[in-house]
Amino acid sequence: MTELLKRPLTQLVNLESPLSLSQYISEGGYQGASKALHEYSPKQVLDLVSNSGLKGRGGAGFPTGMKWGCVPMFADNDDKAPEFKYLVANADEMEPGTFKDRYLLEGVPHQLVESMIIGSYTMAANRGYIFLRGEYHLAAKRLQQAIDEAYQHNWLGKNIQGTQFSFDLYVHTSAGRYICGEETALINALEGRRAIPRAKPPFPQMSGLFGKPTVVNNVETLSNLPHILKHGAAWFKALSPDSDSGTKIYAACGRVKTPGLWELPMGTTIREILYQHAGGMADGLKLRGLLPGGASTDFLLPEHLDTPMDFDSIAKAGSRLGTGGLIVLDDKSCPVAMVLNLIKFFAQESCGWCTPCRDGTPWAVEVLTRIENGRGRKEDLDSLHNLCDFMWLGKTHCALAPGAVEPLKSALRYFLDDFEQHIDHGCCSYKQSTNQQTKLKGHCHG
Amino acid sequence: MADKKMAVSQKVTVYIDNIAYQVSKDNNLLAGVLSQKLNLPYFCWHPSMGSVGACRQCAVTQYQDENDTRGRLVMACMTPVSDGMRIGLQDNSAEKFREQVISAMMTNHPHDCPVCAEGGECHLQDMTVMTGHGSRDYQGSKRTFNNQNLGELVGHEMNRCITCYRCTRFYNDYAGGKDFGVYGSRNQVYFGRQKDGTLESEFSGNLVEVCPTGVFTNKVFSAHYTRKWDLQSAPSVCAHCSVGCNTSIGERYGSVRRVMNRYNSDINGYFLCDRGRYGIGFVNGEQRIKKAQGISQQSFEKVSRLDVSKALAHFRGKRFIGIGSARASLEANVYLKKIVGENDFSAGYSNQQMKVASAQQNLLQYAQSSGEILSLSDIEKCDFILVIGEDITKSSPRMALSIRQACRNAGIDKAAGMGIASWQDSAVRTISGKLNTPFFSLHTTATKLDELTEQYLLLAPDDIEHMVLVLTKAIYSLINEDFDNAHEKQLAKLSTPQQLFISCLITKLMAAESPLIVTGDSLASAKILAAIGKLTDCLAQEKLTTQLNLVVLSGASNSFGLLSLLDKSTLSAEQVLSQFRAKKVHGIICLEQELAAFTNDELALIRASAETIIVLDHTHCRVSDFADIVFPVAAVSEGNGHYVNYQGRVQRYNQVHAPELPILDSWKWLALIEESFESSTMPTAILRKNKLEPINNLVQLHRYFAESLSAWPLSNKEVNQEANKDSGKNQPVARMTKRASGRTSQAANYAIHEAKVTQDQELLYSFSMEGNKPNTNNAMPFTWAPGWNSNESINHYQVDIEGPLINDIENDDYLSFVHSLYDSTPDGAEVTEDKVESENSPLVYFPQGSLFKGEWQSANTAEFKLLTHEHEKHFTIYLSSTSAERQGWNNGQWLKIITEDETVIGRLRCDEHLPDHLAYGDINELTNRNTGVCITLAEAKQSDVLLQLENRQDLYQQAKDSQQKVLQQLKKFDQHIPIRFVAGGLDEA
Repeated sequence: MTELLKRPLTQLVNLESPLSLSQYISEGGYQGASKALHEYSPKQVLDLVSNSGLKGRGGAGFPTGMKWGCVPMFADNDDKAPEFKYLVANADEMEPGTFKDRYLLEGVPHQLVESMIIGSYTMAANRGYIFLRGEYHLAAKRLQQAIDEAYQHNWLGKNIQGTQFSFDLYVHTSAGRYICGEETALINALEGRRAIPRAKPPFPQMSGLFGKPTVVNNVETLSNLPHILKHGAAWFKALSPDSDSGTKIYAACGRVKTPGLWELPMGTTIREILYQHAGGMADGLKLRGLLPGGASTDFLLPEHLDTPMDFDSIAKAGSRLGTGGLIVLDDKSCPVAMVLNLIKFFAQESCGWCTPCRDGTPWAVEVLTRIENGRGRKEDLDSLHNLCDFMWLGKTHCALAPGAVEPLKSALRYFLDDFEQHIDHGCCSYKQSTNQQTKLKGHCHG
Repeated sequence: MADKKMAVSQKVTVYIDNIAYQVSKDNNLLAGVLSQKLNLPYFCWHPSMGSVGACRQCAVTQYQDENDTRGRLVMACMTPVSDGMRIGLQDNSAEKFREQVISAMMTNHPHDCPVCAEGGECHLQDMTVMTGHGSRDYQGSKRTFNNQNLGELVGHEMNRCITCYRCTRFYNDYAGGKDFGVYGSRNQVYFGRQKDGTLESEFSGNLVEVCPTGVFTNKVFSAHYTRKWDLQSAPSVCAHCSVGCNTSIGERYGSVRRVMNRYNSDINGYFLCDRGRYGIGFVNGEQRIKKAQGISQQSFEKVSRLDVSKALAHFRGKRFIGIGSARASLEANVYLKKIVGENDFSAGYSNQQMKVASAQQNLLQYAQSSGEILSLSDIEKCDFILVIGEDITKSSPRMALSIRQACRNAGIDKAAGMGIASWQDSAVRTISGKLNTPFFSLHTTATKLDELTEQYLLLAPDDIEHMVLVLTKAIYSLINEDFDNAHEKQLAKLSTPQQLFISCLITKLMAAESPLIVTGDSLASAKILAAIGKLTDCLAQEKLTTQLNLVVLSGASNSFGLLSLLDKSTLSAEQVLSQFRAKKVHGIICLEQELAAFTNDELALIRASAETIIVLDHTHCRVSDFADIVFPVAAVSEGNGHYVNYQGRVQRYNQVHAPELPILDSWKWLALIEESFESSTMPTAILRKNKLEPINNLVQLHRYFAESLSAWPLSNKEVNQEANKDSGKNQPVARMTKRASGRTSQAANYAIHEAKVTQDQELLYSFSMEGNKPNTNNAMPFTWAPGWNSNESINHYQVDIEGPLINDIENDDYLSFVHSLYDSTPDGAEVTEDKVESENSPLVYFPQGSLFKGEWQSANTAEFKLLTHEHEKHFTIYLSSTSAERQGWNNGQWLKIITEDETVIGRLRCDEHLPDHLAYGDINELTNRNTGVCITLAEAKQSDVLLQLENRQDLYQQAKDSQQKVLQQLKKFDQHIPIRFVAGGLDEA
């Protein structure tokens, strides 16, 4: 029990063979949902979640209670049938360096199903979708199994567990675009439209899927719900030593000794994650910098190692917590090549709606490719600065391009020497010294 | 409407670069800035299509207050206007960002302006210059695409695309197209069809204007190309349906090159239909009549007035019947009626058509009794629509586009309830989803608007009439709360869908504040129109709704001008025929008339009985083929006159170019005829006076009409204009742009001397680049503003964006319709006893309308013939699923369709909405009017199918060859430019 209280999200994960419904229930599953359905009114659940201080784990860190609070609820006198509403789990995990949701989806699918029941009860949603990354075949299979089991045992469908509450849940596998992680693009894709972020307002809580009130939550965010219901807001707050509540699944990749993911209290320092859990840098390598929360966050440097990994502290250090997945840059890998690799991804995944993103990201790829291949010019650095400015917040339709720019912008600040050396020497020095390794990593081309 | 035009939107103060401006609060900031005639570049925003914030080009800096010096960047098109807001257009960061946007777009835009058809009127060129982007930083290669063949009308060059999404927003979102879309992502976004093929929308030509650069181009214009600045243009009115869209026709070297939209806030706004845009090709057609026939000329070179007088002299005192035309100008029709006298005037309408006309007059009189008939912009504001017996998309396409917009009102209202302004296009569409304004339709065939209806029924015309009568009864009973049994019984006899239709319709109609009923004459059913008369009477009496709006449509550009001239003495086609049978008449004058109401046999009879047949027309048809005298008349681009649209609005079309003699306006020929006949009804004194002073222009003609006709309906607006001629403001407006390079060197292949400017007898426009600026007249020949070479420059001439034009202060003349034909339909038209529908009732076929074939003039356009033949390679016939099943026929099967005199083969499609005794399809040749025809069906043999396909392919090939021939000829004519010194009458050139 004490262990559960420390690692509520991942305690029941079994990647080999996830718990069946009965096993899950015997481990204490569906108690949260049961409590919500039988003991709480939707408003009470909403207050509980608000009090717990749960924030969105998808990257933006928006308070979940506040998000739900915007959903139009019953009329004052409760008689009227609620309007059709949707709850969508955003399981379109495509951020480079991020694989936390996959762990939960494959390891403990019933936890998400239970979370969706609680969430939908809170906002009186009639139907839920799990918008799943298309490549997550195993998760799709396991989720469907869990949903089927839940239907069989009346955890889904009509009059769940003898209450008035009815809820249908479906898995939708994405056709595969990074932008579907943006909630309104996700809704468009779910409606069968082009995955382009919508203009806001209207926010999905007012007019979302098929024009109905809709809430889109990240898988990890939702997965906290059963535990908050079971153990209360105070417990949830106490999980974390600092201002943010709960635990967070942190991950590390790059050339560290033991890449992986770990559920730790919110606000664990980078140093602890990197050196205690990931085992430090691989032999012979030094830490050069790291992206704290996936590919669309700014670089941090070794001097930031003692920063707690929570929303505010990371922001103060000049980056974003994002998904909490560290991507580590070592001293034998080329930062230009790394940035090029990342921005190529974003250029590829731009939805093509607004000009700065659509035409700016490929332009940045063009300039970076030349620099990396030793054909850069001094003016190119100005071009890159201009492009960063061009794609910055407030100038684009959604957050994709500003996110794409973050590693480039911070690399230009922290690793300017490398860029200049590429231009001055007409080649990438890393390629010559560690040809073998770079080839293996696939960072540098031609 | 006059009062709406005056209704000034609420203005607030906005500080733009520290200067206070009064800006409308109802629109976004970009529209506000543009309405102050300031320059702010944009691409994805469109005044009619609203904002989506895709291109990010219209960024400005918004400051919190006067102390804020940094501000933040906002997209003007996505920002509402608020009182006291402060923005900077010239702020460095905003200016830099706008230039960056252009330079990013230019990373993929080819440098092919010199060979691009858009060059010289390219919005992208204008905006690039405006932002100051001049040098290129981007070092990489440009992305390339394959282009598609989108049919005969629209060219496709995707490499030029800057991905503003305007095309798909117009084609799919605004116009409801289905066969166009967006493909791919990132900087590889492709706009086109799934595969090559003709665009199916009736509005595809608007892509040319909507596209800010040269991705979509006017293919017909490109084939015989000239730059915008070398065109000679004049404001005109579309000659191809009764809506009366305003157009600007461009000409060079004696051939008409293209039609562009001419903005009119009341009618067409920014968009035209394809018939209006491309139908002008008939002016250059192979079948044009260019020479007078049956006139012996003294001079080999030209026909003189004397020749004409001589030829007509021996008809003095002889009795002629004059047949007016719905496609001839109001002036020509009035003149003809005046010459032959009202007792010998005919519209060429059959008895049946006369009844329809009578019913139309009746409805129009009603509709006008409560104010002006709705313009298209007013239709877009309606909150309930009922269409009865009209496929608007095919007959009056531009109005269908407005009805599509009206259907969005329910969604716009819902969005407004959530605080979202109507210009927030994507947000409003998100919120409205599939929510539509209540819309009901009754017609014989499926139409493209059906998808927007709440309910639609496919019925035979008699059943439509019956439904309208039952509906009327039901409303009566509901109001008077006396549920008489008769009504209940009638209702009970209807089928379930019909009952549901009536009950839903009544509920929605009662809730509507501005309901609209649209009908027309395409089913040629006077009974339906009479039933609608009863319905409107009922609604008016009971004061159910605040204001019922009624719109009645007809087929041709001046149908309503002609309608206003019909009275009790007007002859029907049958009466004309009997006059000839009785040998009471010497001859006939056909004014732009192909006499469609007459069969070939009847025409032969007229030919045999008439001593003289005089034809005035611009294009050969079976009537001109056997005429004694043929006068070549000016087509719409070659003359001046007025058309009356469905509202009764009288609109002037102006001469674009002086055609080769002896092509003259119909009314000029009629003046000569009148002079020669001297049999006119007017007093001799006036005749003498006018003889001394030949009628040279419309002003003189109108003055003459005003003096000699008891009821000349037009105001003396133009006459007054002539009086003010010397006051300066009314100097003629130049038909050419300031930089027209061609005029002075036009005849250089003959002589180096500069050709003299053709003198225009009209007062308004000059055949030159010299003259007043285009905007000094309320009808602009073309639109241009400094820095704005494309049609987007119209922003500079509007009071408010999408509002009326600055100079548009004078209201148009409106004809008032009087029910002068027959006495109003007898009240006996009660709900008829239900027909017993026997199993043996014959199958009646109704043709779906046709965009390209539906109007006679435009059907002569080479591209339209080609498109028609392309379409007619495969006919389709729709039957009810049950009757197809009963016969054991399957979807897609080839059937032989047999009428009394025709057999064609078509492919079967099932339509579950159809009743068993009704069929429809796209086979227009089975019946010339849209009235039903009895058919029998049989399975077609494979060999017959192949034979028909082969024949159709041959016809298509012939049309293709003919189109190419016309094009080659036009190009040849470019070398031999006709020079006219005066654009006046016969002896003046």
